Amino acid sequence: MDLSILLVHGLSLAAIYGLMAIGISLLWSSIGMINMAHGASFAVAGYAAWGAAEVAKPLILATLGKTLSGTIAMAGVCLSAGALSGAIMGGLIYLLAFLPIHDKPNFAVRSLIVTLAINMATVQTLLWVFGPKQKNLPKIFGMGRIEFLGLSARYDQLGTIIGTTVILGLLLFWLKVSRKGLEIRAMMQNPEGAVLSAISVRWTALPVTMLTGALAGLASVLLSQTIFVSPTSGAVPLIKGLTIALLGGLGSVPGAVAGAVIIGFLEAIIGALPFLGQRYVLFGTFLFIIAVLIIRPRGIGGLLDKARK
Amino acid sequence: MTEKKLFEIGQRPQEIALPVSGSEPLDRRRLPFTRRHLLKWRSRLNPKTLKQERLLADKKPLWWTIALALLALSAPFLSNSALTIVSIFCIFSAINVLWTLIIGTAGIFSLATLAVVGIGGYCGAALNVYLGLPWPLMFLAGGIAGFVAGGLLALPSTRLDGLYYALLTMGVAEICRVFVQQLKPLTPYNGSINSVQGFIPKDWMLQRPGLLIGFAGAFVLLLLALLTFRIVNSERLGMLLQTAREDEDFAQASGIDYRKARMQVFCISSAGLGVIGAFYAQFYGSISPAIFSLDQLMLLFAMIVIGGLGRAEGAVIGTAIVVLIDKGLLEIGPLRILLVAAIMLLVTLWTDNGIAGAREQFRRWRRRKQSEARARRTEKGGDVMPEEAIEIHDKQAIYYRRFDKRLRDHLKTLITSELIEEHRLNPLGQHSDGLSRVLNYFRRGDVADKYAIIRQSGQFHAYKIVAFSGVRGAPPRLVDDKTYDGINEAYHAVFLLRLNDLMES
Repeated sequence: MDLSILLVHGLSLAAIYGLMAIGISLLWSSIGMINMAHGASFAVAGYAAWGAAEVAKPLILATLGKTLSGTIAMAGVCLSAGALSGAIMGGLIYLLAFLPIHDKPNFAVRSLIVTLAINMATVQTLLWVFGPKQKNLPKIFGMGRIEFLGLSARYDQLGTIIGTTVILGLLLFWLKVSRKGLEIRAMMQNPEGAVLSAISVRWTALPVTMLTGALAGLASVLLSQTIFVSPTSGAVPLIKGLTIALLGGLGSVPGAVAGAVIIGFLEAIIGALPFLGQRYVLFGTFLFIIAVLIIRPRGIGGLLDKARK
Repeated sequence: MTEKKLFEIGQRPQEIALPVSGSEPLDRRRLPFTRRHLLKWRSRLNPKTLKQERLLADKKPLWWTIALALLALSAPFLSNSALTIVSIFCIFSAINVLWTLIIGTAGIFSLATLAVVGIGGYCGAALNVYLGLPWPLMFLAGGIAGFVAGGLLALPSTRLDGLYYALLTMGVAEICRVFVQQLKPLTPYNGSINSVQGFIPKDWMLQRPGLLIGFAGAFVLLLLALLTFRIVNSERLGMLLQTAREDEDFAQASGIDYRKARMQVFCISSAGLGVIGAFYAQFYGSISPAIFSLDQLMLLFAMIVIGGLGRAEGAVIGTAIVVLIDKGLLEIGPLRILLVAAIMLLVTLWTDNGIAGAREQFRRWRRRKQSEARARRTEKGGDVMPEEAIEIHDKQAIYYRRFDKRLRDHLKTLITSELIEEHRLNPLGQHSDGLSRVLNYFRRGDVADKYAIIRQSGQFHAYKIVAFSGVRGAPPRLVDDKTYDGINEAYHAVFLLRLNDLMES
């Protein structure tokens, strides 16, 4: 068993799961909503990127040909289509699952149910429109392997790891320096206090939902380099993202990152072990998460008291 | 001849009181060996007829009886496919009713319902197929398996709360699915166990009599689930948990061990779910890992959400709606899940607690509207509201005030600048109809605060305006310092003051 393959595989899985988990975690901590439609955003973004690639492919081939700039243009089209459609899905979730019910009692359960309904509806609509046949995205990072410091990585794995690191860095930077980011962080720390300081719940929730949707979209385009796009392709990333967000402690961004890294490597290791193999991956991760949650009921990074009530 | 005994005043040993039969219960019959009545009859005295009346305070048992009887009686006349749908409805309703017990009564957000059903079903089926356990004992085996699984699942529920626990149970379902699929010696055919024997004889499987027997079994299962719900939810355990639901600390302080009660409810319903699992395996003659799948669970969740969390009728209504759409409208394809999602969305956006809670929500809304209307009506201007009318014994006063209010409202419409000008030109004398009416009203006013003209002593044609106190002995007060040089001018000033009071009343 090659340790370097394991390391790269684990890191690339961790990157994608991290994108999903941070989206879920951010949404929970800032507006108190568990987004079960995150998987739907994922699937929709995958289809949007596929559609955009289908449209753009002849154009790019005609103008740029099979050059490096052509590949970059294709990557740009795919990523921006994914992020944009994810953001639009986020806006839809905001309109349906936040705006009408955020001031009604029992918002957490209600929004959970509404987002679940959105998820079901979206998956069925995709199934209806595109059929169950899988689509594959163009390889935006190209095909091939790279040898680096004794490590061997496929282009897409490397691209995923670097892309995610850049995206997450930008996101954290934006949260740190921008006015909106300050408002979001204030909302995460103390919702009532933020409202009393004249921060609008509605105008904070909209960018957060759109942002997390866009993160799901990016995760979709990046993950679709290795798997295919299908109507139900959002289910597994959703479950993974949700479990990792819970493992890291809901609302804790460092916890989510740590959880993603742990689960990514755990999956890589379980998948590589000869007597376990791929079919026991989900089994193993769930067992691990359950064990962690029983020892630390609020996850790795979660506080033991009620962080958000 | 006994002499009449005399008592001192206030010392009479017994007062003679005629019985007042107003709220005595008319019907005291109880269910044998219990303290329950079959129907919740209440007696009350009708204040108009002064007769005692009987009132059915809770009509729900009647609706339940009617609905279940209709279901049972219509079954033999249904087509084969409809009979299958109705049987599935009964099974899913039973599952949902027990799940409602976990989510609603115990308040544990568990998603492992179908996993427990599957564990019970697999245990029963495996024992039957591989060890030759006779089918009636399968229910027992399923129940025990469910009880054990429920006990294991219930342990972490004290430590984890809400969402974390939901995730954990979802993980358990996934683990069960993988486990069953991988366990080759137990399940050689891709995870499923086939040719399970059951209460439906082999030859009748998928035949008309088999379907009828299947329906009968499912119906009995639903009845048993409802009975379990009734016994757990509205008896001691449910009452304990109801206190804990409202305030856990208070419940603990009053000596209620709500954690233990939750565990007990969880274990009881898990045992029930295990029995349903065994039934499920017998009903289909096989059991497959699809029972652990997430989609099936989501559909089940949609059922109880649409019906309303925490209510038995909600579980049944929601199941009826979703099963009818999902199994009855097979020809519209994926659209039916879309329809379920749309119903789920609408129900969550518009109602507080599903369809079963819609009636109560409508009543709340109507009460709110009524009280808003009442609040609007308090801008009354001297009129008597119905609420205060019961406290005024002289009903004449009520009618007078109502009349006065209407009169003033009418007079206000008559007052124009021409009318004021007419009075200024000619305070005394022949007036137009409108001015006469206004002046007549003023003349009839109460003495308290009535205006009068006082001539300044030692001066000719110098007048001031005073207002009577209305109390004998208390002198009138000066309204203002203004002196009027003519009596007509003073008359008009008084008129203007009164007009002002009228318009402001």
